[in-house]
Amino acid sequence: MNIVKRLGLEERSASGSLLQLQQLIHRTSRRDAAAFAMLYAQTAPKLFGIALRIIGHREEAEEILQEAFVAVWERSADYDAAKGSAMVWLTSIVRHCAIDHVRRRAVRPESRSAPEEVLLGLAAAGSTDQGAELGALQRCLGELDEQPRRAVLLAYLYGFTREEIAADFAVPLGTVKTWIRRSVERLKRCLDP
Amino acid sequence: MRYEDPELRERLAAEYVLGTLPSRSRRRFERLMTEDPALARVVAVWADRLALIDAATAAEDPPARVWRAVEARIAADGAPPAPAPSRFRSVPFWRGLALGATAAAAGLIIYLTAFTGRPGPPTPAVVAVLADQSGDPSWIAVAGPRRGEVSVSAVRPQDEDARHSFELWGIVGGTPRPLGLLGPRSGNVSIIRAAELPPPGDLLAVSLEPPAGSPTGLPTGPVLSRGKVMLKPP
Repeated sequence: MNIVKRLGLEERSASGSLLQLQQLIHRTSRRDAAAFAMLYAQTAPKLFGIALRIIGHREEAEEILQEAFVAVWERSADYDAAKGSAMVWLTSIVRHCAIDHVRRRAVRPESRSAPEEVLLGLAAAGSTDQGAELGALQRCLGELDEQPRRAVLLAYLYGFTREEIAADFAVPLGTVKTWIRRSVERLKRCLDP
Repeated sequence: MRYEDPELRERLAAEYVLGTLPSRSRRRFERLMTEDPALARVVAVWADRLALIDAATAAEDPPARVWRAVEARIAADGAPPAPAPSRFRSVPFWRGLALGATAAAAGLIIYLTAFTGRPGPPTPAVVAVLADQSGDPSWIAVAGPRRGEVSVSAVRPQDEDARHSFELWGIVGGTPRPLGLLGPRSGNVSIIRAAELPPPGDLLAVSLEPPAGSPTGLPTGPVLSRGKVMLKPP
């Protein structure tokens, strides 16, 4: 599975030669500033989109993108291609920087798409070669009960904490923990071949 | 907690990726992952599964100041310091054409004519001369070597360092389009396609950029030189 291809990211340098993101991360770990600049050029727009989605505020998302890329520079030696794709590793750094940020902040912006709308958008966003995997994910999420599904999506899309989800649905924290635990088990059973 | 339990490992990995682990548990989990490669792989599988949700998130170009801030912060971390001259920072991008550039171009054409020892149009045909802030020519674009090509090179060695590159832009109606990176020494020749040149009367400009060129498709550093396209070779 090539997540970069699935996310619609082209691993191409300006001159048109194919450059692997993992190679750029490896070179970044050796303090190669040119490789790091290329890594930024190729991935920053997608990662900025993800930071914006979680944070919901432009200037703050810019700060978090900056923080995340400084972390990429510092932690590039930790990346191990055997443990997963480069784009997923980069996304994870941005996601966790963004999640830490929204947890530090007292209030959340109100304007965001409903999780279901985002889920529907999946089909439109996916290219044909990722259609089968997207379809499977959509189907498996669809098999969850409505509230647990919303809880999973609020967490992934917007970085909601268990407490925030509990407040959003006006249910006890224990209920949210159970929803997430069961959803994870069901998703794994459904997605694993 | 007993982290050997496969179900617990699976659930924690999924929650780590979902982002629902409380901050302190997450830090503990991250430490565990570094010591336990198998656990890291379980996490990677979950990340891969859920990353599909990100496909529905639109990419968006961050403003150039983000990269500049990242660059400034990593410069403090062992990389050689940026020598970007501060006086250029305040110069607005290609506001008007430096009058000196035209004069410099005229001077250079006379020089080339004298050099080739022939009157009339110089050989090779000068496409543009780019001059710096003080009007001194710094880059020259000439037709060739082959039909449909234009060669760009430095007239004199440019101040270079490992952390920057020189990028050529064609500016049509105020909108810059990247044309490629230029070598800093007189012997470095960059060849661009004549078809990509702006029409005569419009501008070529050179800006200082990160080593791989502007990450945004627009100039992010100071404009060092500019000059009018005087002719568009066939």
